[in-house]
Amino acid sequence: MSSLFSILNEDLIVATIRLSTPITLAAVGATICERAGIVNIAMEGLMIVGAFFAALFAYRTGSPWVGLMAGVVFGGVFSLLHAFATVTLHLDHVVSGAVLNILAFGVTRYLLVLTFGHPGTSEPIPVSLAEFQLEIPLLSDIPVLGRALFAQTPIVTMSFLVVALFAFLLFRSKTGLHLRAAGEHPLALETLGVSVYKMRYGGILISGLTSGMAGAYLAIENSVAFTEGMTGGRGFIALAANISGGWNPIGSFLASLFFGFADALQYRMQIIRVLAVPSEVFIMFPYIATVIAVAGLVRRSRPPKAVGMDFMIEAEGDWRG
Amino acid sequence: MTEGLKRVLLGLAILSLAFSLVFVACKKKETAEEAEAAAKETEEKVLISMATDVGGLGDKSFNDGCYDGLKKAADELGLEARVVESNQQTDYIPNLSGLAEDGSEIVFAVGFLMADAMVEVAGQYPDTYFAGIDIDLDPANAPENALGILFKEQQSGYLAGVVAGLLTKEHAGASPKLNDENVVGMVLGMDIPPVERFQAGFYAGVMSVNPDCEVLSVVTGDFADQAKGKEAALALIERGADIVFQIAGLTGVGVINAAKEQGVLAIGVDVDQNHVAPETVVTSAVKGITQASYLTVKSVVDDNFQGGQNRTFGLKEKSTGIAPFHSFDSVVPQAVKDAVDKAEEAILSGGVTVPATRKEAGYRG
Repeated sequence: MSSLFSILNEDLIVATIRLSTPITLAAVGATICERAGIVNIAMEGLMIVGAFFAALFAYRTGSPWVGLMAGVVFGGVFSLLHAFATVTLHLDHVVSGAVLNILAFGVTRYLLVLTFGHPGTSEPIPVSLAEFQLEIPLLSDIPVLGRALFAQTPIVTMSFLVVALFAFLLFRSKTGLHLRAAGEHPLALETLGVSVYKMRYGGILISGLTSGMAGAYLAIENSVAFTEGMTGGRGFIALAANISGGWNPIGSFLASLFFGFADALQYRMQIIRVLAVPSEVFIMFPYIATVIAVAGLVRRSRPPKAVGMDFMIEAEGDWRG
Repeated sequence: MTEGLKRVLLGLAILSLAFSLVFVACKKKETAEEAEAAAKETEEKVLISMATDVGGLGDKSFNDGCYDGLKKAADELGLEARVVESNQQTDYIPNLSGLAEDGSEIVFAVGFLMADAMVEVAGQYPDTYFAGIDIDLDPANAPENALGILFKEQQSGYLAGVVAGLLTKEHAGASPKLNDENVVGMVLGMDIPPVERFQAGFYAGVMSVNPDCEVLSVVTGDFADQAKGKEAALALIERGADIVFQIAGLTGVGVINAAKEQGVLAIGVDVDQNHVAPETVVTSAVKGITQASYLTVKSVVDDNFQGGQNRTFGLKEKSTGIAPFHSFDSVVPQAVKDAVDKAEEAILSGGVTVPATRKEAGYRG
């Protein structure tokens, strides 16, 4: 049992942050989107689209930064489909999200064959974002948290800023108030003269941008190529993180950290063989932890009042119709 | 836009989509029929094909190795090689059946996980030959048109273990990428027999030259996730491993990348993976998938395919071993190279029996 403590070190915290980053980004996006009133289960699809275009642009231009921008932008573009379907066409949010997930996997596969000539995995990109490791001089020397927070690769560092930005935006700005109103009582917001449609489009777009960034992280920072299906269910974990986090950017961040921690722990527990069980038990561990976390926290978690409900300006009477 | 207009537009969009789908489907059928007719009339190229395992092409080892064998046969013998990717295990049967339907002379099922699928499809298409890489056919009910191609991975693992065991401690001065922690690691894709053979052999090889070495293992559970491979490798490197052996297909590319980033050495698997990271991959535990698939195609062309059994390839057939050191040739000391040669001789002469399971090797894993 003493060897169990040997894995509780700084490296574990660095690994936790590293593993939770794509989930954090997608989850914060989901938070903003759902706070605006639109259910988004398409993070998985948005991530894979972002991953593909990040890899494609990084490969073709040789610059991973261009790849990063492409991943973010195309994630946003793809999310506009969800926006158009749910806000303009008033379609069911869950159906639209599910369709987008399937479409994303199909489109990326098709484009992969079109651009790289074969399915499976793309060619490796010449320069990966992982080569640009940030190291803030004094702060990264802080024991325990220094390396984890201040000596990471670009997108990881950006994810902290994203969390802080949206936590501030959502609760301390006028736009954030309008966004939350769009998800709580859209009729009230509309009577103020603020377009609920615009707010919801904005919310979805933001989730597209952050999920695109999460995908870019997977393809060009955590790896050096695009592989079909490389999101590996992280989009759905992000959904769970958003719910466990109480539809709050900071909560989503913490829930994502929890999953990242369980994932990081799993590898290290395998190495020291903390229990004489088949390795598959360890591999299951992060997912079981997620189920327990969601089950434990879901009752205390209150979704936005009008999330998933369509809002139509021309509709008579109560918006709940 | 009024509600009514929106509905009309949506309806039109759906109808046109449906029509185009029908149009495409119909067109496809026509072309297939035309092609069949054309094939009967003219000399059509004989088709050989393979269905990949879930790692897909681009794994730089397993699936790529088999495809290279097919391509080589196609080039030399004037055939057409086709490959179909399996994204998940439920794709195996549809993929194999589809290739048999397309009229492929021989269909390769690439991977241990495809065993049941291959046996079932081989039963349904008795006129098509099937060859399974890493598939262990039960002699009691092996179809006559199916062949299991097995390798003695433990031999390659053993030789790689000898290299790793010597480099990590006794000859750690040979490269700045080696430390003196006396720890080596392995990253497994899934815990299946071919992978276990590599693992058991590697452990035995390390123990034969460095009994105090700490040999660690991590199973990622996935042959197609580079991120998991990278994470597993990083965990091993944090524990002091200066040589990481990847037995994980595409996941293993992540292992090699992690080793590259962290400035330690890696050992590749299945094929010579030095080109993946020339300054990091010191050698690879190879198995002659390319050669075996090429020879099997040739046997079909030469009309002496012997199905209903397994063929095992090992050191004697020059199908197992370790890849050349390439840029590390001047770095690896002669003593290590001599030890490898000695171990090879010992395996061939029977002086050393390499364990094929963790239990035989006495390794907890």
